[in-house]
Amino acid sequence: MPVLGAFVFPPIDELFRWKDLWFNGSPLAINKTVLLVLISSLMIVTIFILGSRKRALRPGGVQNVVEMTYEFIDNGITKDVVGHDAGRFTPFLGTLFLFILFLNFWEVIPGIQFPPTSRMGIPGFLALLVYAVYLVTGFKNQGFKYLTGHLFPPGVPKALYILVTPIEFVQLFLVRPFSLAVRLLANMMAGHILLTALALLTAYALDTNPGILKVIAVGPFLLNIGVTGFEILVAFLQAYIFTLLTAVYLGDALHPDH
Amino acid sequence: MSQLIVAATQLQPDLKAGLQSIGAGIAYGAAAIGPGIGIGLVVGNAIQAMARQPEMQGTIRTTMFLGIAFTEALALFGFVLFFLAKS
Amino acid sequence: MFATLLLAATEVSVKAKNPILPEGKEILWAAIAFVIVFSLLAWKAWPAIRAALKARQDKISEDLEKAEAARMEAETSLEDYKRQLAEARNDASRIIEEARLQAEGVRQERIAAVEGEIAELRARAAEDIRLATQRAMSDLQGRVAELSIELAEKVVERNLDRQTQTALIESYINQVGSN
Repeated sequence: MPVLGAFVFPPIDELFRWKDLWFNGSPLAINKTVLLVLISSLMIVTIFILGSRKRALRPGGVQNVVEMTYEFIDNGITKDVVGHDAGRFTPFLGTLFLFILFLNFWEVIPGIQFPPTSRMGIPGFLALLVYAVYLVTGFKNQGFKYLTGHLFPPGVPKALYILVTPIEFVQLFLVRPFSLAVRLLANMMAGHILLTALALLTAYALDTNPGILKVIAVGPFLLNIGVTGFEILVAFLQAYIFTLLTAVYLGDALHPDH
Repeated sequence: MSQLIVAATQLQPDLKAGLQSIGAGIAYGAAAIGPGIGIGLVVGNAIQAMARQPEMQGTIRTTMFLGIAFTEALALFGFVLFFLAKS
Repeated sequence: MFATLLLAATEVSVKAKNPILPEGKEILWAAIAFVIVFSLLAWKAWPAIRAALKARQDKISEDLEKAEAARMEAETSLEDYKRQLAEARNDASRIIEEARLQAEGVRQERIAAVEGEIAELRARAAEDIRLATQRAMSDLQGRVAELSIELAEKVVERNLDRQTQTALIESYINQVGSN
């Protein structure tokens, strides 16, 4: 007789690891995560190329969405945070934002409900890419001063360099990419675990034997709906924050006293 | 004490997993305290700033998100530590 | 039943690994997908969107300039109209003033004429009255004299010399009338 006491949460690993669907075992094996990444990429490319093909003076539908996204990235992130001379970074930041946003949104799509960004491979790759981009930009723009400006910040007493320099070094080369990747991963992972736990609780409550006890299922079910709404916000916010932080690091690489 | 724990884990394999879980839980809980207070301060002061200068709302909100993101990083390290400590 | 369904949906792994460690295939595919998306968007989408927005911006600023020019023109013509209107109003009030002055003159003239007429009439009437009074006076004098003579005749029962009598009474009456 399964009652609530019999509730067992599956090992976390089981919520995130999927078996290969095609090309089993090869380095390019495709599982659910990869499949979702590919579908999202296809969707982004389709929407944005279709939306930008038609150049009506009075935009409507897809074109409107596409142009609003561009404005949002170009004005809200590139020009405000990176700098007014940084228009060339809009394509990179825009693609980054859309890629993360679409992947995050799978978390709340009924029937899929799994964010590929909760697998370290994707945020990890994106963080490494951003890391490479801001380091290259920084060294290309400021030369070696990019490094010294960070490690030996001006206006700090010489004695404090013993303390400041190692912290800044770790910050620049380790904490930045690591926190960028982990922030996205942890938020999506936590959201997914929370939603799964609530769904499982509902299911277990519905499975209890004395029929009257099934009423308990209402609690986690309603909570699940609420948390899903919250996760929609988180999905957007995490994409925004990832892009924003990338913009901040890029702005720092472009303008030293920013 | 530590020798006692080692001996106990050898006797009882489940004990190791249990202790790991306790340690992970404490680690994450402790890691969440500071960022919790920090994010509260960041958001509270951001709201105060917005109330004082509503015309600066956009800039303040962006800065607030940045502040939250930097503060949150510590809690996230705790989150990762939780998984590392558990296995 | 739901629980078994959900458990079936979650995938059971072969060997338990740490869930936060990356998997090679996922990194590879993410890299491939991101590079493809980035290149396609950078090649096709972003420049087109930028161009469309630029075109709209140009169009809008051009329209604004045109509107500004039209506004300036409208303002100058409005100024013109206002000036003309003020002129017309001035003219009108000048004409009205003139007419009023003219009318006033005519009125004064008419009043003077009528007043003259009235004075003449009054003078004539006074003259008439004076003549009538004079005539009536002389009539009355004659009559009074006759009556007095008759009365005296009757009183004294004596026929006096009429001539003397009349002269006597005339002098008497004159004396009375002058009083």
